[in-house]
Amino acid sequence: MLSTLVSAIAFGVVLASIIAIAAMGFTLQFGLTNVFNLSFGSVMTIGAFAGYLAEVNGINAWYGLGVGGVAGAVVTLVLGRGLFRLYARRGAKLFEMMMVTLGLGLAINYGIQAISRNNVYQFTVLQAAPLHLGPVTITPTQAILAGIGLAIFVSLEALLRLSRIGKALRAMAAEPALARSCGIRTGQVVIITWVISGFLCGMAGVVYIINSQSVGYATGELFLPLVIAAAILGGAGSPAGAAAAALLMGIVTEVVSAYGGPQYSTVAGFGILVLVLLCRPASVLGGQAREMRLTL
Amino acid sequence: MLSSWTFYISTLVVYFGVDLLSGISLNLQYGYAGVINFGYIVFQAAGAYAAAVVTLGPSGGAGSFQKYIFGANLPFPLPLLVATAAGAILAGFVGLFSLRRIRRDYQAAVLLIVSLIAIQVVQADIPLFNGSNGLTGVPRPLVNVLPLSLQGYQWAYAGWVLLLCALVYLLVRWLSRSPWGRALRAMRDQEDAAVAIGLNVTALRLQVFVIGGAIAGLSGGLLVEFIGAWSPDAWGYAETFVIFTAIFVGGVRNYRGVLLGVLLVPIIFLQLPQFLPPIGYPGLVQSLEWVIIGVLWMLCLLLRPSGLLPERRAKALPDLSGRVA
Repeated sequence: MLSTLVSAIAFGVVLASIIAIAAMGFTLQFGLTNVFNLSFGSVMTIGAFAGYLAEVNGINAWYGLGVGGVAGAVVTLVLGRGLFRLYARRGAKLFEMMMVTLGLGLAINYGIQAISRNNVYQFTVLQAAPLHLGPVTITPTQAILAGIGLAIFVSLEALLRLSRIGKALRAMAAEPALARSCGIRTGQVVIITWVISGFLCGMAGVVYIINSQSVGYATGELFLPLVIAAAILGGAGSPAGAAAAALLMGIVTEVVSAYGGPQYSTVAGFGILVLVLLCRPASVLGGQAREMRLTL
Repeated sequence: MLSSWTFYISTLVVYFGVDLLSGISLNLQYGYAGVINFGYIVFQAAGAYAAAVVTLGPSGGAGSFQKYIFGANLPFPLPLLVATAAGAILAGFVGLFSLRRIRRDYQAAVLLIVSLIAIQVVQADIPLFNGSNGLTGVPRPLVNVLPLSLQGYQWAYAGWVLLLCALVYLLVRWLSRSPWGRALRAMRDQEDAAVAIGLNVTALRLQVFVIGGAIAGLSGGLLVEFIGAWSPDAWGYAETFVIFTAIFVGGVRNYRGVLLGVLLVPIIFLQLPQFLPPIGYPGLVQSLEWVIIGVLWMLCLLLRPSGLLPERRAKALPDLSGRVA
């Protein structure tokens, strides 16, 4: 029994690192620009397909992570600077912007469905003999994915805490008007935010398909609830919070799946979100929303 | 040839009625109360499944090929009542945790997530409603009792759906003109002021959510008794957005606008490709339809946020809420 629990926790850590990469991107973007981006999952799918196409064309799948990331960054930057700004200029508020991202997500998802002929493609790369670490049996790929998640978390924290850009990002997230009057080039900071969050988003898509070994048009959309739940649970704009929330959700999901059967794992993720809404209203309270403006 | 046309048209009238009920329900929730129900289709599905299982008879009988819970064999109007109740109860349950005073964008996202997860639960838990394969063989109500041909039955059913539409419309119009309806609009426009004059906005939201859920359940029940089958393919999260697009195109907050929108988007626009020459591989057209729905949705928000037929506002002070556009 104990070994079941230990290996469920190990798988939970792997899942958590995948959720965390996406959730850190989501929360960074949301915390800074205040766009509640429901097309995030669709951009993940774009990243995943970019990684898949790179692999099909003979590029090593680990470089595919970078390809997916760059694809995500480019798409996100174009959407952020082009489309979202257009709506913001025409007076869209937080809520209208969310509706826009939803329509956009629909268009991208089904556009990918049209292009991919509604097929699910196998992505069985990087398979190797499983490692036995005590009671835990884990593939080297999973171990590396967990390592990547950790590495990204550490480097993002370092960027935010130690560099000038990170300082500017944190200042903008806290108080855009004040940041601007202190001489921070807010336009540049927003561009950097779109690029970093888009890179994480696209990369998360590739990480996800490396783990799940298949890619289809619904890849990102099915994953989005977990990402949003982690971002809300961790508090908007806090990558460390998102990572901690992802760890909690990953472990709970896998433990429930190990004991109750895989069909309940999504229910468990959902249950966590409900608990968040009931128990942690401080991070989701209505009052704050009126203070916030889109920063684009 | 002629009979296949009348068959087609009468089927479309039924779909129109069902979508109109959905439009009325969403317009009440979104247009009047400002509650964004991105999980609408879940409540319609709840009604459809409920009506199906209480019509199909006990599960697991001889020759049974599908599993479901709570099989029964109720006579004609009762399955619709069960469907309505199922939609309302599920809405009450979901509303209890999602409609508290949290940020509207979080609230909408939570309902979207409910929609995404509900479908995974139904697909994974096969004893519930037969999983991905769904339920089939739901008999049409009174089909052996009424002395009608197939054509006649089609038109009778269409008339029945339109009659229910009219009744629901009258009920909702009466509700939205009542003091309760004015409270809803006060909450939508100035929530803080509504709270200040003593309105319990959480209770109002829950009430409007349950009423909308009941209408959704009714529409699901009507649909499943007509088409005879229901499966997770029928209620993808995106179906909700067809109806939302319809009321955005036609005009939120205005029932004539809802009527126009439902006629334009789910009926004319989504049926049109059947008459055009097929392009590409099978399924391409459906995918592209969804892409166009998404684009149409974004264009509506950009160009005409109040729709083709906007709400007729009472003469009052100019809108000072600071909208720039």
